[in-house]
Amino acid sequence: MYELRLFFSKRGRIKYVSHLDMFRILQRAVRRAEIPLWYTEGFNPHPYISFLLALSLTVEGELEPVDIRIVGETYPEEVKNRLNAVLPEGLRVEKAATPVLKPAQIAYGAYIVTLDPQEITAEELTRALSSGKLVCEKSGKKNGKKVIKTVNVSEHIRSYQVSQTEKDVRLDVILPAGSVFNLNPLQLMEAVSAFLGRTVTPDRCVRTALLTEELSEFQ
Amino acid sequence: MDKTLEKILPLVQKPARYTGGELNSVIKDKNAVDIRYAFCFPDSYEIGMSHLGIKILYDIANKRPDTWCERVFAPWADMEAKMRENGIPLYALESGDPIRDFDFIGFTLQYELCYTNVLNMLDLAGLPVKAADRKELAPIVMGGGPCACNPEPIAEFFDLFSLGEGEEVNSELMDLYAVHKKKGSTKEAFLRAAAQIPGVYVPSLYDISYHEDGTVRAITPKDGAPAKVTKRIIRDLDHVSYPETFVVPFIDVVHDRVTHEIFRGCIRGCRFCQACFLTRPIREKSPDVIDAQCKTLCKNTGYDEISLCSLSSSDYTRIEELLGDLLSWTPEQKVNVALPSLRVDNFSDELVQKLTNVRKSGLTFAPEAGTQRMRDVINKNVTEEEMLQTARIAFAGGYSSVKLYFMLGLPTETDEDVEGIGALAKKVVDEFYGMPDRPKGKGCTVGISAASFVPKPFTPFQWEPQATREALLHKQTHLKETLPSKKINVSFHDINTSFLEAVFARGDRRLSAVIYEAFRRGCKFDGWGEFFKFDTWMQVFSDLGIDPAFYANRRRPYDEIFPWDHLDYGVSRGFLERENEKAKRAETTAHCRIQCAGCGASKLNGGHCDV
Repeated sequence: MYELRLFFSKRGRIKYVSHLDMFRILQRAVRRAEIPLWYTEGFNPHPYISFLLALSLTVEGELEPVDIRIVGETYPEEVKNRLNAVLPEGLRVEKAATPVLKPAQIAYGAYIVTLDPQEITAEELTRALSSGKLVCEKSGKKNGKKVIKTVNVSEHIRSYQVSQTEKDVRLDVILPAGSVFNLNPLQLMEAVSAFLGRTVTPDRCVRTALLTEELSEFQ
Repeated sequence: MDKTLEKILPLVQKPARYTGGELNSVIKDKNAVDIRYAFCFPDSYEIGMSHLGIKILYDIANKRPDTWCERVFAPWADMEAKMRENGIPLYALESGDPIRDFDFIGFTLQYELCYTNVLNMLDLAGLPVKAADRKELAPIVMGGGPCACNPEPIAEFFDLFSLGEGEEVNSELMDLYAVHKKKGSTKEAFLRAAAQIPGVYVPSLYDISYHEDGTVRAITPKDGAPAKVTKRIIRDLDHVSYPETFVVPFIDVVHDRVTHEIFRGCIRGCRFCQACFLTRPIREKSPDVIDAQCKTLCKNTGYDEISLCSLSSSDYTRIEELLGDLLSWTPEQKVNVALPSLRVDNFSDELVQKLTNVRKSGLTFAPEAGTQRMRDVINKNVTEEEMLQTARIAFAGGYSSVKLYFMLGLPTETDEDVEGIGALAKKVVDEFYGMPDRPKGKGCTVGISAASFVPKPFTPFQWEPQATREALLHKQTHLKETLPSKKINVSFHDINTSFLEAVFARGDRRLSAVIYEAFRRGCKFDGWGEFFKFDTWMQVFSDLGIDPAFYANRRRPYDEIFPWDHLDYGVSRGFLERENEKAKRAETTAHCRIQCAGCGASKLNGGHCDV
């Protein structure tokens, strides 16, 4: 048995496919690629495919890590090529390698959010982000019950940069990610909307990388 | 992707249903094809993507270089509302293009309660729902599938129907259409020519007159249309086109696996079962062909489950050989093989052995009726002992939950027959606890699912009235009150749904007005409890002065002309009448392999049946 970490991109309309569906999609792709998956032992054997971190619906990704277990020795490059020959539109393996870091070492996500200047100007966005007053509501669980918590968004923004391109307003932002605490750019934009008192929906959100506590690339 | 669409997709449930882009979906250059075909399934994506017929016909149409066939499903209510709000017309998944600009819009009609969805989809496409209001040649709106056997209630909305199996006739229609499109023909000219293709029914070419009592007086063809339209069949299943790949959905759908049809038709002749009589004669596919095609499909889709489908799968004469072939490679590739349609009387030890090599789940059997007398009436040729024997085999094979399907309201049914359902289920429970080596600490659950009988065209019960709502309610209550064990749970189908199904199943053309008005008043997804507006339907019947009981609850005499009498499915009316008489005497008819009962369907296959 051999563990392999794939970094895949998810671009275009496949961003409307939920995280829960990704397991099945990848499992079938691996089968089509005739890569010998390792199955768990037990009454109901299933393959080991583990997406390290969920990507929210409508957010695209450039380097999303997933760990798979394979029977015997397989060359990462070959796995990558064979998968890329059979993956559906929008999914691509960008990198395949032996895992270096532990999944728990994921601390941040780097995002690019593209906005329509008709909806929000660069100045307005900067004002909102620098206000220190951004909050959003997040559903969570407390003692097994569903509760709505108010989260102070401002204190969780690791860093950001607003720029104005020819057509768009662009936000580069680093937000907490990982198994302990997560904040996604859609929640950030909800907080910005609440601050401005009108709904601003991003044209596009892309997670470009996952980062460690030290802001180095997760490997 | 369209920017307006991008804005609304994040706001609806399961947006991946509306994006297209699934693996193996076919993309062509629209400027390089002559015919755009929108294959519509008038229900949700999850239901439609589970349907085998659409996969077969999609594949065949797309093998034609001149045609691009795309998929269309009924958007769920949230998506429909957003589409209407934002002026997005119904579009096809592959191209995203509005289907109103297509050449063909084909609906598969699996179930009577999808009719309002058909109208709603045409309306959402921006097309007039009535065929007479669509004057241009394109789009031609066509229908096929089981409900095409009596399409009269929806005849006003369709240009043509294709009867029977579509693999060959669809291509013939497209060939003809290509010629007429090039010539710049009128729609009328095309339809007149299409009516000459065997299996094609053009409803506008038939005038219907009625007696004063509301029954049909005459069905008169015009403009050279044939007096009888005979359904099409595929003679040789080994050589008919079968897809090498399926579109693999991103999201979880109802049947998300390789499906393979092993034969068509049914030897049994249960008198309530429309599928049996609509699909005769029996034609089998060879094990080696099925095995090779399953292998290819698994490879091209990545599916890890194969479902062998047919009516009564254990009647496939070479079932053991087929399972042997499949099980020579599937376990190693971690592929599960399922046989969802088994009969209780020839469910053998060896079969269970083979099936237990794969994953075990609950087992479902359909005794249909609780007493032997009742089973004889419906010609369900199984005995209680055979059923209990099956339960024993299944329990010994490790199964511990059994689901039993029954029908209430069958012709001649008495309270005693209803009590028999609970009594039979109790005996099944007793079989489990009577096993000396039954698994310790494991209970047995027996579930009863009781549907209401719906008389259907082309069955021996086509003359029978459906039991009234009151009678059905009484039967349900009686069944619940006489259940002999707490280990048995029972669930019922909704009576109102079955009533509406009965009205449309044997309805005539005058019901088009009812369906149109119900659609106008917002009826859609009638097969879904959360959408079904029974009161609205009843109000529409009352407002239009049409009595639904005339269609559902009336005993029809043998000499009555049925609204579907100009359609020929091979099985003769004389045979069905004989079977109806035998049912009244609780006499059974042996299945086709014991003795040919002369149903007449073999004439469609040059006198041959695979028995």
